[in-house]
Amino acid sequence: MDVVAGRVWVDERRPIRHLDPTLLIVTAVLVVIGLFAIYSATSQTLRADGFDPFSRVNKQAVTAVLGLVALLVLATFDYRFLKVYAGFIYGATLVGLLVLRIPGLAASDTGTSNYIDIPGVNLLQISPSEFAKIGLIVILAAMLSELRSPVPTVPDLIRVVGVAGLTMLLVFVNVEIGTTIALAAITVGILVVAGTQAKHLIALAVGALVLIVLAFQLNVVEEYQVERLLTVFDSGSVSEDARYNLEQSVIAVGSGGMFGRGFLQGSQTNLDYVPEQHTDFIFTVVGEEFGFFGSAFVLSLFALLLWRAIRIAYLSKDGFGTYLAAGVASMFAIQIFVNIGMVIGIMPITGIPLPFLSYGGTAMLVNFVAVGILLNVHMRRFK
Amino acid sequence: MERSSARLKVFAILVLVMFAALSTRLWFLQVLATQVYAQEAQNNGVREIPIDALRGEIWTADQYGEPKGEPLVKNRSSLEVRVDKQDLEASGMAEQVLGELSAMLDIPVKQIRSDLESKLYYDYQPKPIAEFVPEEVAFAIRERQEDFPGVQVRNASVREYPMGEIAAHMLGWVGQVQAAQLDEPQYRNYGPNDLAGQTGLEVQYEKWLRGTKGLQRYVVNSDGERIRDLGGRQPTAGNDLVLTIDSQWQRAAEQYLEDSILRTRQVFDEDSGTYYKADAGVVVVMDVETGGLKAMASWPGYDPRWFVRGLKRGETCYLGLTEKCAQADTAAPLLNRAYQEVYLPGSTFKPFTALAAVKEGFANFGSYYPCPSEYVHPNDESGASFSNWSPVDLAPRTLAENLIISCDTSFYKWGSDFWFRYQNDQLGENNEPLQKDLRAWGFAQATGVDLPNEASGFLPDAEWGNDPEQRDLFGRGGWNPGGYILTMIGSGYTSVTPLQLAAAYGALANGHRCRPHVVDRVMSSEGETVVKKVNGQCNRTVPYTNAELDYIRNALAQVPVRGTARLPFLGFPLSEVPVAGKTGTAYRGTQFQDTSWFAAMVPANDPKYVVVAMVEQAGFGSDVAAPLVRRMIEKMYDIEPGGQIVSQTGQD
Repeated sequence: MDVVAGRVWVDERRPIRHLDPTLLIVTAVLVVIGLFAIYSATSQTLRADGFDPFSRVNKQAVTAVLGLVALLVLATFDYRFLKVYAGFIYGATLVGLLVLRIPGLAASDTGTSNYIDIPGVNLLQISPSEFAKIGLIVILAAMLSELRSPVPTVPDLIRVVGVAGLTMLLVFVNVEIGTTIALAAITVGILVVAGTQAKHLIALAVGALVLIVLAFQLNVVEEYQVERLLTVFDSGSVSEDARYNLEQSVIAVGSGGMFGRGFLQGSQTNLDYVPEQHTDFIFTVVGEEFGFFGSAFVLSLFALLLWRAIRIAYLSKDGFGTYLAAGVASMFAIQIFVNIGMVIGIMPITGIPLPFLSYGGTAMLVNFVAVGILLNVHMRRFK
Repeated sequence: MERSSARLKVFAILVLVMFAALSTRLWFLQVLATQVYAQEAQNNGVREIPIDALRGEIWTADQYGEPKGEPLVKNRSSLEVRVDKQDLEASGMAEQVLGELSAMLDIPVKQIRSDLESKLYYDYQPKPIAEFVPEEVAFAIRERQEDFPGVQVRNASVREYPMGEIAAHMLGWVGQVQAAQLDEPQYRNYGPNDLAGQTGLEVQYEKWLRGTKGLQRYVVNSDGERIRDLGGRQPTAGNDLVLTIDSQWQRAAEQYLEDSILRTRQVFDEDSGTYYKADAGVVVVMDVETGGLKAMASWPGYDPRWFVRGLKRGETCYLGLTEKCAQADTAAPLLNRAYQEVYLPGSTFKPFTALAAVKEGFANFGSYYPCPSEYVHPNDESGASFSNWSPVDLAPRTLAENLIISCDTSFYKWGSDFWFRYQNDQLGENNEPLQKDLRAWGFAQATGVDLPNEASGFLPDAEWGNDPEQRDLFGRGGWNPGGYILTMIGSGYTSVTPLQLAAAYGALANGHRCRPHVVDRVMSSEGETVVKKVNGQCNRTVPYTNAELDYIRNALAQVPVRGTARLPFLGFPLSEVPVAGKTGTAYRGTQFQDTSWFAAMVPANDPKYVVVAMVEQAGFGSDVAAPLVRRMIEKMYDIEPGGQIVSQTGQD
């Protein structure tokens, strides 16, 4: 019996038995919906231009498979190894971000590209700033899980802000406001869960505000970005282009109605009225072709995803796991909110992709990695 | 991690709030306001372009067993260049573009500039600068559209005139809708580029001829590329007009009128000491049973094809459309003199004034009336005397005989009678019965012909003559006996249009006054359905008995036999085709030569047609207009032409 009981016990303890199927299913359904939406957004134009209408979908599907591999890799080893290598991972992401500033290596000669071309690998362009999100989650979780006091002290916070600020600065100078926002959200999310005092959080917020105002004053932010940000506040004061983006996207979603216009039937989508539709504005396809029901379904999936992430943070056996899960949850939450909010006109236009739905290689990989980390924490939740 | 569970709850609540915000907004967009956005999406993707309808055609009457007669107006396509001045100027390339257009179209830059300044069109309307542009030029412009900002090449449907100049006045012309038209309510659904009738039948029957524009709906993508057709509505071609005009008679009328005028110009006028100017003329043939016009010629004319291809400088001068001509041309060839110009009717007026005199009791069919060479109004001591056409006193005779020889002085006497009626009852209700009786024939009012800008003619009366404006015309005392005396012989200040006179003779012919018209019916373009039959409204009668009308007709039937028109009708088979007619020679003062008139009803015993001819500055009615009417009747009744186109009788 003991032996049997022992085996049973051992089996119960084997991490693979503690996968979170809900999380996996939610992820898979989101990816599939994304593939349909990308097909709808791109096939018409591709066919018209004489390309394979499935080419974008195929590429996204291949990325998803690669993402699954990354997820499995991330879930296989104990997540605590991440803590061991946290410094190394963080350093690597910084290097990645710096490489973008080196002319010749970046995909664009001007040095303002967000991608690194991997020679010989046509399939993927690596966007280091996407990986920076994971890097930041890992390093912050590692730092905050090793605090000596129950809550972060001011020196702790200064170190955290220093680490996060450096990442954000490097991303920001690459003109990626969306990713910068995501990094900020990750930082705040982890700090909140780590028990940072309210007064410190407020002080941080004030500091951030000052920095933002300074950035605007010193013209660090490109004019078009300011403009896009402003659309949500005052659509009358901005250029035709920025207003057009917002108008077309809101029209697309609004015209979907209760049940949508049907797959491939959305005129805004099929006639190419929404710019950047397969990437940042992918949610317009869902809104137009599947209506309120479709949108609500996708929102529910995201809610499920976040619920699982928060639950995993709660179940985690250690602080590191909790903070990792909280960071991932923050990352997804901010991206979902800012992206969909932008599409339906309640958030400013920033270049932020919708997790699992938006077309784009690195973001997809990073999202899978994030889910892999969640699974890892979940699987190894028992002490 | 018990410690963090409370914080995670805060985190979870934040996430919930996020989702609540997103869902609320989605509910608003997709459920509450979806109709607004659905409409906007629809507007986004669907474009509509209007397709011009083919304009209706115009055909002559079906006289010879054909469903329609001959085509007068059809359509053909033309490549037109139009320039949107505002776009051109906004481009900042105006100089260069105009230079290039000038070279390609072979039109001077100055000309293009003045076309662009045309006040006929609003500034937002692209202005036409060239028609019938060669294919290769049109192609060159379209191919390099970016080099020609504001320049449009349009495939327009333009009018074609298979019979050339025939009936040009009546048909009118079509052009881009003008600013003045766009201001009117009936043109409210016209686009700035649309065509519209400008004169003649083209404008009168615009709403029938125009047709209904079609609509092509198609889906465009955000680049404006056409993705797929959604169908639409085919244009409906305009309705065709079938005229009452007989193509053969119309041709003949125009030909004879010109022959007559050119021949008259070779005749020397003793009175003025020059050759006759014979600068204009009219022939009208009307069916007295329907009011349908079988022919209506006005000379001088013009070629409607000039408007289609664009007027040349000399033509603009000739048509009187510009003042910048070497010598001002007063021919006014655009005027349809048959109904747009008024004339002294002269003695052709006498049948009507005679009947008025009978009706008011001043004359009867049994008495004899003197015909002296001079007439003085009773007790008039001013020295004014009114002369007859004959310098010798003629024997007293019946009213009929006075009509036959066109004695003026007997009519003057009745004019005096009308004056006394007025003078003795100045405040009476009916103290000017002459004017009232003449109005009963349709004088001094538009006939209602289905053509635009009709002149109404005029009958002077006491009120008019006593008006301070005209008072001086009648000497110090205002309206005086001369007003009636001269009206009796269609002189003085009386004026009629030739068409009015024709309509009045039509009423004389059978007692029914019709509304003259040139359109018999409006036909559907594809089938043979009659959309509208034009009504001649011949149920209006004139206030005379058949016996009275018979008496006058019988008198007029003697005019070609032994009266003023005897010589021009010599050799005409009057026994087979009896003609009742009246000559007229209207005196227009010393500045102008006399107007020559002849009005006829044929056949005299049971009139079917009225034929009226008028030639300005051509002398006696019997010399020019009567032979012209004879030739016309010969054509109408297939009679071998006889006599001269212009005779020299020296008779009124």
